[in-house]
Amino acid sequence: MGEALKSFRSGIAWANAGGAWPDMVFSTRVRFARNLEGFPFPNRAEPRQLAETRRLALAAARATSLFARGHFLKTEALSALERRFLVERHHISHALAASVLPSGAAVSCDEDLAVMVNEEDHLRLQCLRAGFAIEEAFSSALKLDEALGRELPFAYGARFGFLTACPTNTGTGMRVSCLAHLPALSRLGRMPQVLENLSHLGVTARGIYGEGTVALGDFYQISNATCLGRAEEDFCQNIDRVIRNLIRQEIAAREALLKGPLKLRTEDAVFRALGLLRHARRLSYEEFMQNVSLARMGAAMGWNTGTDLSAFNQVTLQMQPAHIQAAAGKPLGPEERDAFRAERVRAAFGGR
Amino acid sequence: MKLCEECHKEPAAVFLKLAVNNKVTETHLCPACAARKGMGFGLETGAFNISDIVGNMSGYFKDFLPPEKKTLRCRACGLKYSEFKESGRLGCPDCYASFEPQLTELMARIHGSSQHAGRAYAGGASLKLSRAETARRLEELRAELRGAVEREDFESAARLRDAMKALEGGRRG
Repeated sequence: MGEALKSFRSGIAWANAGGAWPDMVFSTRVRFARNLEGFPFPNRAEPRQLAETRRLALAAARATSLFARGHFLKTEALSALERRFLVERHHISHALAASVLPSGAAVSCDEDLAVMVNEEDHLRLQCLRAGFAIEEAFSSALKLDEALGRELPFAYGARFGFLTACPTNTGTGMRVSCLAHLPALSRLGRMPQVLENLSHLGVTARGIYGEGTVALGDFYQISNATCLGRAEEDFCQNIDRVIRNLIRQEIAAREALLKGPLKLRTEDAVFRALGLLRHARRLSYEEFMQNVSLARMGAAMGWNTGTDLSAFNQVTLQMQPAHIQAAAGKPLGPEERDAFRAERVRAAFGGR
Repeated sequence: MKLCEECHKEPAAVFLKLAVNNKVTETHLCPACAARKGMGFGLETGAFNISDIVGNMSGYFKDFLPPEKKTLRCRACGLKYSEFKESGRLGCPDCYASFEPQLTELMARIHGSSQHAGRAYAGGASLKLSRAETARRLEELRAELRGAVEREDFESAARLRDAMKALEGGRRG
């Protein structure tokens, strides 16, 4: 890793188990899309205009004092690995990581606030919080938005609200999302129905399949599908309602997994997963995610997995491909990476 | 197993379901195509961007946007309405005024409303542009001013002179 990211701490505050329902909601994010009056949107801007919007945006971030001792990054100064590392840490998007034009990001010292510059919009500002914490994430993101909005003239009109490059973001420019961990609903095969129901509630659900039909690590991201025509708080409330409903369903599913003959099977699956994490010599990211998901559920059920939820969360972040390479201090091939990952996982779970 | 809707070769591994005004659309992609579209294996990446997906879904905007005569374009950045229909991306903040009737219809379809009801924005500090950017803008205004004077469009000329004065004032301040 180059100099640029040396100062990133290995642990991240928002990845500790916190907020409400930390065993079911990994984290909450609120982001606002904003643009500068007087400049074309990044997709139509010339490189020198982008250099100018970046200069203005990063200077404004500095001026807010919310980024004291934070990071101010220019994409072109980062290696591919460093960009990937920032994506895994949720500070920048894949699109920004792939950018060849003047772009960048500001990340606060605690890594809870970030401003992406010259991605699809001039500014994408966000706040991340541990667990289910929509109100907290919203009020922090709003504070950041207001601070930047005083330093810069945002593109805004009374009719359409905040003006963005894509009409799907116009209006509040706000996206509220929760990263939900739903291993029990997944295990019981209820996710297709759950997702079907969600699609009628004005929310977008995203899951990632591993092999077969199981989402990678049983993580699903739920966010508002629209952002114009209602107040920010209304959009927050809708997601809040949807997530509470999901949590109720996951609780019921976990209870079902502990009833009758299922209990022994569940316990067996959890401790087999833990055994694998403690003893495997090669671990792909996908296999790690499948097993850590079960072990994490076991910890949430109160079984003695020897590791608390915060440690599970941090390990889940640290075992991602770029994080593993950063920890190794050198680029690794896939084989070496899986071996190194297994070594780190064994250490994290007290295995041998 | 479903095949990726982008490359039609690899098995789909990422699914996305969108519900917009009760119209449910599903997208199935292989990991490589998903990564290209910014939906990789990260957890809650800042990456996930509904507009990337909606905007890239062929036909999404085309179906929703009213037809318009070919010559319609943004008076500020010059983006053609037909280009917007194709890409789903606007060119600059002024596009919203240039395409207002069409966007009003589109917004109602995407968001179920075309009137902002969130926080009002009082405006922020004026931009502290770099010397180079100020000079470039002054040069543009100067050229426009020459054109306006030639056309004997004195109303525009007066407006352009004011704009130049404002820019120059900002430079000194």
